Amino acid sequence: MSRTATHNTVAPAVRTEGLTVRYGAFQALSDVTVSLPAGQISGLIGPNGAGKTTLLNAISGFTSIAEGSVHVGHADLTALDARRRALAGVVRGFQTVRLLDRESVLTNVLIGTERLPQPSALAQFFGLPSQWRAGRRDTAAAAEVLDLLGLTGQAHRRVDELPFASRRLVEVARVLVSSPSVILLDEPAAGLDQEGRQELAAVLTRVHHNHPSTMVVVEHDVDLVKSLCSYVIALDSGAFLRDGTPAEVFGDRQVQLAYFGRAAGADA
Amino acid sequence: MTGATITRPRRSAQPPATGRGAGARRILTRVAVFAVIAAVPPLLFDDYWVFMSAQVLAFAVATLGLDILYGRTGQMSLAHASFMGVGAYTTYIVSSYGHGPAIQLGAVVVVALLAALVVAVPTLRLSGLRLALVTLAFGELLAWVIRETTDLTGGTQGASVDPIVIGTWDSSEPLHAYLIALVPAAIATLLAAHLGRTQLGRRMLAVRDTELAAESVGVAVARTKITAFLISAVYAGIAGWLYAAIVGFIAPPDFDLFASVYLFVAVVIGGAGTVLGAWLGAAYIVLVPELFTLAGQPNLYPIVGGALLAVVALLVPDGIVGLGRGLWRRVRGARGGQEGSR
Ligand SMILES: Nc1ncnc2c1ncn2[C@@H]1O[C@H](COP(=O)(O)OP(=O)(O)O)[C@@H](O)[C@H]1O
Ligand SMILES: [Mg+2]
Repeated sequence: MSRTATHNTVAPAVRTEGLTVRYGAFQALSDVTVSLPAGQISGLIGPNGAGKTTLLNAISGFTSIAEGSVHVGHADLTALDARRRALAGVVRGFQTVRLLDRESVLTNVLIGTERLPQPSALAQFFGLPSQWRAGRRDTAAAAEVLDLLGLTGQAHRRVDELPFASRRLVEVARVLVSSPSVILLDEPAAGLDQEGRQELAAVLTRVHHNHPSTMVVVEHDVDLVKSLCSYVIALDSGAFLRDGTPAEVFGDRQVQLAYFGRAAGADA
Repeated sequence: MTGATITRPRRSAQPPATGRGAGARRILTRVAVFAVIAAVPPLLFDDYWVFMSAQVLAFAVATLGLDILYGRTGQMSLAHASFMGVGAYTTYIVSSYGHGPAIQLGAVVVVALLAALVVAVPTLRLSGLRLALVTLAFGELLAWVIRETTDLTGGTQGASVDPIVIGTWDSSEPLHAYLIALVPAAIATLLAAHLGRTQLGRRMLAVRDTELAAESVGVAVARTKITAFLISAVYAGIAGWLYAAIVGFIAPPDFDLFASVYLFVAVVIGGAGTVLGAWLGAAYIVLVPELFTLAGQPNLYPIVGGALLAVVALLVPDGIVGLGRGLWRRVRGARGGQEGSR
């Protein structure tokens, strides 16, 4: 926890209160009240279908909420649509990567600069000086994040030509490029090999160090969560199960039962 | 903190819409190629083919506009020729009051924008088939208005439009028409190419490919669709202005549903989402029917055109430009080996 303590004052805390999400008669989230500590990297764990993605959707405005509220810092974002939440600093990546398949890696990352102040459509269309300034700023931001993720050599390749693991990194890069204050990543390490996972964890730690943010990472790999996250929230069947430090949560009997189907001795 | 590679010269500031590109040298090369090709008709062609080439310029402005709407933003319009008609008839009416090209152009832009707003704002949240149907209805509405206002527009009989006269130039002269049309066509091309380098252009691509990702980073999806629709309508209006001045006679069939479909075919066959594709498409829809007519087989064009569209749609979804790029990549791959991976 000491790793990120210096940033606590800058990034906002994220809080949900009594969050309930229904799909027809099915309750994907039931009365979930959680608090993601400001300026920390939190892990969100739980078995498949536990509601992890649904929780990220609810926080980022991609699903309608039946009951409850979402707060970032002192602001109540419940009434805002996904786009306004993004502009307010809450940016998420998708579990199923959603890229502009026929476009280059660079284009896919640059689209993420939308949150930075962009010139008017007219200024952009006619290439006024403000457009050139914004373009240089965005390109520099993209170059930095591409470098960080080891994608610089791929910058001009079409994303549909890339292996799946790289496509996932492009998805992450699009989120990171605007340095959002709240970053929600849905299984960013899925499909990466062991080495890739460790690199990704190092990159996220570095990003978090350089640009203070409140980060939430959905992840199954216990070791990865332990090395990356200072705080963990466990969900099961749409309900809040446990939160605390990684050691506390993974040591919890209930979590072990829900998560691994048995208590203790589970492997990653 | 981010390592030495950041300060190394990068090829990052390139037009992303064109994929792997290059910097200023590449742009200069393209401008030079454009200039050389543009010089061919006036130097080598007879009056008749210069006249046809001038029409290609007008239609290129139209296809460039449709490419922004369909090729980049993924929005289907069956009213693009109708917006050409809006431009052409605005030109006719304004010029019949004795106003010159500058006022004509200004009026065309304003009227095209207003007409596009009328179509775009109610269809704000429409996409796909529904948008296509609404644009279709707009085309029918325009045809009806023209039929019902014979005094103003010439009705179904059509109308003779005065040529554009600038100094000693007169667009009823094929060479002058060509040179006059070349300027707006070049500007339209530059702006369309530049659009690919802007966030506005990227928003359009994101709306086309994944609205979810677009929203997740803060893109205003509906506003982006409307912007694309407005830009495409102004392009179409200017194309109609040029068309009216070059051909000198306009009638409702020039701007009907079939004309819209042909513009659509042009964009798809040329290669949706690319500036070059829009040009190839414009050349195709102007020149190919003419070749069939010269060969004494005008009826073959719709058949061959339909077959070609089917072939392109099934086998080369990225059109002629995509086909060319694929071949180029294969040639280079055969020669240079591992280029793709570096
Ligand atoms: N759009 C939806 N419509 C119906 N059911 C859904 C929808 N999204 C998620 N669910 C259901 O909600 C439950 C939680 O899903 P999800 O949040 O994706 O789980 P997790 O990400 O933890 O694996 C699952 O049972 C899933 O089938
Ligand atoms: Mg999930």
